[in-house]
Amino acid sequence: MRISIEHQLSVTPPAGTAHAVLQLMLTPISGPSQTVESWSVEMPGIGNAARFADAYGNSVHLVNQARPEGTLLVTVRGAVTTTDRHGVLGRVGGEPVAALYKRVTALTRAPVTLYGKFRSSKDNRIDVLHALMARVGETLRAVEATGQTQSQMSADGSQSQSQGSAPADAARPAASASDLAHAFIGSCRALDIPARYVTGYLAPGGADDEDGLSGFHAWAEAYDDRLGWIGFDPTLQLCPTDRHVRLAAGLDGLSATPLRIVPAGDGVAIQEANVSIV
Amino acid sequence: MAENLPFDEMYNPDGSVREPYRALAQWLEEQPDKALTLMQSDAEAIFRKLGITFAVYGSEEGTEKVIPFDVIPRIIAAQEWRRLSKGIEQRVKALNAFLYDIYHRQEILKAGRIPEKLILQNEAFCPEMMGLEPARGIYAHIIGVDIVRVGPDEFYVLEDNLRTPSGVSYMLEDREAMMILAPDLFQRQKVAPVENYPENLRRTLESVAPANASASPNIVVLTPGIYNSAYFEHSFLADQMGATLCEGPDLFVDGGKVYMRTTTGPERVDVIYRRIDDDYLDPLTFNPGSMLGVPGLFDAYRAGNVTLVNAPGTGIADDKAVYTYVPEIIEFYLGEKALLQNVPTYNCTDEEQRNWVLANIGDLVVKEVHGSGGYGMMVGPTSTKAMHAEFRKKIEARPDNYIVQPTLALSTCPTYINAGITPRHVDLRPYVLIGDEVRITPGGLTRVALKKGSLVVNSSQGGGTKDTWVLED
Repeated sequence: MRISIEHQLSVTPPAGTAHAVLQLMLTPISGPSQTVESWSVEMPGIGNAARFADAYGNSVHLVNQARPEGTLLVTVRGAVTTTDRHGVLGRVGGEPVAALYKRVTALTRAPVTLYGKFRSSKDNRIDVLHALMARVGETLRAVEATGQTQSQMSADGSQSQSQGSAPADAARPAASASDLAHAFIGSCRALDIPARYVTGYLAPGGADDEDGLSGFHAWAEAYDDRLGWIGFDPTLQLCPTDRHVRLAAGLDGLSATPLRIVPAGDGVAIQEANVSIV
Repeated sequence: MAENLPFDEMYNPDGSVREPYRALAQWLEEQPDKALTLMQSDAEAIFRKLGITFAVYGSEEGTEKVIPFDVIPRIIAAQEWRRLSKGIEQRVKALNAFLYDIYHRQEILKAGRIPEKLILQNEAFCPEMMGLEPARGIYAHIIGVDIVRVGPDEFYVLEDNLRTPSGVSYMLEDREAMMILAPDLFQRQKVAPVENYPENLRRTLESVAPANASASPNIVVLTPGIYNSAYFEHSFLADQMGATLCEGPDLFVDGGKVYMRTTTGPERVDVIYRRIDDDYLDPLTFNPGSMLGVPGLFDAYRAGNVTLVNAPGTGIADDKAVYTYVPEIIEFYLGEKALLQNVPTYNCTDEEQRNWVLANIGDLVVKEVHGSGGYGMMVGPTSTKAMHAEFRKKIEARPDNYIVQPTLALSTCPTYINAGITPRHVDLRPYVLIGDEVRITPGGLTRVALKKGSLVVNSSQGGGTKDTWVLED
């Protein structure tokens, strides 16, 4: 499927900033599930940016801007052709060893109630992962319905508002795609299964985007010794399809942050990504 | 009782003088009364004039102190040093190979030689370093290996310092002072020089410049600033090797390259000898609150446009829990047996070992896994019962946070105290430079515990230093 993406982000450095430095993780790379047909990242200073691959294999821009005035606008445009592989990505050359993704970070501490019952499971890893995805979905959605919040699951602050979940009732914060992915990843790691955080774009489901989730999105990938990396989207409760465009991967939402800036100022506003099927 | 006495490096148990100390013993005998007292006060004047000071954290009396210097040198025989330096070279090569592996394919973990958790869940492991190719594959370019001696042929490595080991300026100034104080003593025997350290440091740093650097790479020393306890050393080393001393705000990143602000415009920087901790290096990648670092510095490093010395994440190789695996690490990467021994270390997460430790704590040394500088440690034999109880509780609460070792009878050296010569415990920190070749400065810094019977040699805990001589054949 050919997917066209337009994504704008804006950030306002504090007034009087002499030198702003930005890190952009906004460039997808071609892989088993997708071919990048065209891609551009535009913002002031991008012509002079350094390009490099980070520790997780992502394509990163380092942009600097002297005396930025007002809001900096980042515009990302491109087209990606995707293939439905039922989430299976396999092993991709040049990626760090899978075991790295067993490292528990502050954002990926999952409560034992999520994964405890799978500890002694005799099922094969794929079945365990599917069951775990269902459990994470049920549990976090139940929390949402009763209005309880668990600190581990909503500990990622800025990420959770921005990553493509349905609009939340202010008094009853919904589990975002990011929360669900973190809970799933944390549970995997607790079960000694390598798992990583993935950012990307989700194309509309059907002509009128029935689930209303299209746009910037987050999900997870878990590692199986036989099949390699396999995607799991706990928000949609399925393995990524050709609706998913992979942008970046990391240990957690923090290490895959699409835009980082120093000095930070009022923070980053990620505007709605416009994703359409061509 | 004789067998319980610590090994004295100058005198045999029968009172005769050991070979390497013969010239010194004779010289001491020839000195008129009060000569050493005069030397001691001259030494203090010299150090004040040189401005060698250090700061003790949490101390109220001013920030700067002169580190106590003992006028009697510590002497190591040529063949003793050959053995030691071979062992040190083996160790630093293996530790760099380990770092390369841990940040690439992690073969040592796959082979099950080190528990995976110990590395992957370790705070000192830096995931951002994965897959990075440092110049010449070297991560730790400057290493200080802490060694203690317990017998004529028995040396132990206490710890490897691969982050930003300090103290090398004391080694250099101790020698300079000693040559002023007792020039005639240097004429009686050949002492290996140490004063080429800054030149060797410069050569080492130049040899690890990034591929796209100019033919004569621009080197800077990056300091956290004047409030850091080792600020004197930062400025001293920059001055000695002809590099610019700078602080975070003096540097900036443009187009993925690092530049220094100068009065004549921006100047490209190729190699940064940084004395700022990993976490504060770059607010964009590490601690966002850091005011000391340079935003974008780590990305410029990742892009291959600058070399950081030492690399971030080297702390995983001197982690106290990883320390116990160093003999294993040497075997795995070099296929050799370790030439220098580790101090036997008890693992408190093992119940049997923990129970034994708790019962015998009065004889043991307890160290915090992430502590340094003598903070957060307890030496059983010289601590009170209340301290023993406190550390028992600490170990029970967090067994993985402590390592426990037997109290070693550190060797003693004659030391001038209260107008008399008396033995005091010492350790040794040789400094190793790793670049196009491994360069080990003969000797290193000898630290001496000035309090009678004390085994804690850290300057922050009442330790002093001595000039360290390696004799040449």
